[in-house]
Amino acid sequence: MTMNRRRFLGTAGATTTLLGLSGLPLRAQGGTLNVTAYGGVWEQAIRDCFVAPFEAKTGATATVSLGGPAQWLSQVEANPEQPPLDVLIMSPDLAVLAAEGDLMDDFTVEKLPNLQYIPQEFTDACLGKGTYFDYGVGGITYNKQIVSEPPRSFADFVERVSSGEFIASVPSISYGPTTVFFLWAINNALGGDVDNVDPFFEAMAKMKDNLVFWAGPNDFFNHLASGEADLGIYFDGRTWNHVDEGVDWIDFINPEEGGAMTAVAIQKPKNASDLAWDYLNEVLDAGNQAKFAEILNYGVTNTQVEYSEKLASRVTPLSEANLPPYADIARVRNDWIDRWNREIGM
Amino acid sequence: MMPTVTLSNGARRALLLAPALIFLAVFFVMPLLDNSARSFIREGGFTLSRYTDFLTDRFYLGVIAETVILSAAVTAISVLIAYPVAYVLVRKAGGFSGLMIFFLIAPLLTSIIMRTFGWQVLFARRGLVNQWLVNDLGLLDAPLRWLNTPGLAIAALVHVLVPFAVLSIASVLQGVDRRLEEGALMLGASRIRTFFEVTLPLTVDGIGTGAILVFMIANGSFVTLVLLGGGFQTLPLLIYQQFNTTRDFALASTMSTILLMIALACLWLQLRLLRRQGV
Repeated sequence: MTMNRRRFLGTAGATTTLLGLSGLPLRAQGGTLNVTAYGGVWEQAIRDCFVAPFEAKTGATATVSLGGPAQWLSQVEANPEQPPLDVLIMSPDLAVLAAEGDLMDDFTVEKLPNLQYIPQEFTDACLGKGTYFDYGVGGITYNKQIVSEPPRSFADFVERVSSGEFIASVPSISYGPTTVFFLWAINNALGGDVDNVDPFFEAMAKMKDNLVFWAGPNDFFNHLASGEADLGIYFDGRTWNHVDEGVDWIDFINPEEGGAMTAVAIQKPKNASDLAWDYLNEVLDAGNQAKFAEILNYGVTNTQVEYSEKLASRVTPLSEANLPPYADIARVRNDWIDRWNREIGM
Repeated sequence: MMPTVTLSNGARRALLLAPALIFLAVFFVMPLLDNSARSFIREGGFTLSRYTDFLTDRFYLGVIAETVILSAAVTAISVLIAYPVAYVLVRKAGGFSGLMIFFLIAPLLTSIIMRTFGWQVLFARRGLVNQWLVNDLGLLDAPLRWLNTPGLAIAALVHVLVPFAVLSIASVLQGVDRRLEEGALMLGASRIRTFFEVTLPLTVDGIGTGAILVFMIANGSFVTLVLLGGGFQTLPLLIYQQFNTTRDFALASTMSTILLMIALACLWLQLRLLRRQGV
């Protein structure tokens, strides 16, 4: 085999260039912002409600990266000097971890004028380095065709599932928010606290023969639709989404003890583009949030938002939900998961 | 006239191998080494403490045992099912062999998630199977709970993995010289004896390849166990949890390295057994 030297050198050069290029960090630069979103309807809502007004006002463009908080945080941790993402959507516990790791910028009214309309406790919950913009409440979703007298409280839920009256579908430990909206919520309702989760594990031991576990939200709906379970622990917003899709046989109850508020936080990594402040301000805008709430059936945090009549009857008011102590939970969460693995299984 | 470079055979071979080797080095070896390195480093120094902690914890030893036993059970059942199917495919199907191969491969064209949801729909408490048993056939008074049982999780894994075993066995069975079997029959051996003393030994290679393939995939299986449960606690499930939920990357790396070692040890053991058979 003979090879032209110029061709040989050209091929080697091109290969080297390609390999070199592949090592370049992906980073939003100039007038482009890289923001984040969950997939599906979430992505479209983010584009319509926040990206579009941001682009219209600033003339800049925003690309949307799909994924999940754990992945996004890892990406920022891997390259904090040049973070590949400019705005993160985070779960509350990871928002605390990111803030404690000093990876995020401080949120102030000077940078974000709309922050003045967000309850201060939500910014405090992110240690001042982020805030909540959207929330759902974990409660009891049930099949109306099977369950005529649903449990009205977590305590009643535990008793009646333990007795075998219902088969319940509950989140498995492989689903990220489980430790908060299920474990903490039930434990709190049964008299436990962050440092004592025995009430929860005792309740699980009583219910274990009548439980099925869901690994993801769609899994829960399949359990109810296929008749595997009669009721379970789920989110208000997702329940209403199913109702809007024509599923008229499910309903949601916010338990008497109050369901856990499962919020969605937003944060800006240090060294991310300053354009992120303009985008974040749009995320906190009352009009944009109202539109976002209408699409997703979840509550939003701007106190100036006025929900439509339909949504107002669905969204669990902040006063009727419990704000979990996310920072305290983050401290002991891995111990809870380890105990769950050993006592309940995955 | 441009100068030319004449490459020796060795250089030519190296040049041809280079793309595959670079690809493997960049996307397999380097991430693997980086991942393993995390498990050996604590506060800037070398440590084996994560491994000693893991391997002396009864819970984690149980998880390792469950992972290996589940993979071995799935492998054994898959091979037992696959052999007769492969035999019919090669020896009996005739003009229908193409159709059989299509039916074997068709499920692989569907997402594993969809196939697993199919099991949920069929075997739910008020699913199709229970409806037949309770309402249509009247064989049961109350529906059975199939989901989240070990049996159903194993059945679903076998369903996913049997085609791999069938194709491995069939390709070897195809190459078996029929004259050897005919010779045995002519010398008075029964069909059963001919099968066990001629056909089966000649296809051990295919069985071995299929078993290794199925074992390796079962060893790392994740989606089926996440969706169908079965109460199994396996290393892949724990690794996912460490990466995604607890973010304990060092522990996840420790588990990943141990899972890799288990897979390599089983591979070595199976290859040794096959060599002992003279294959």
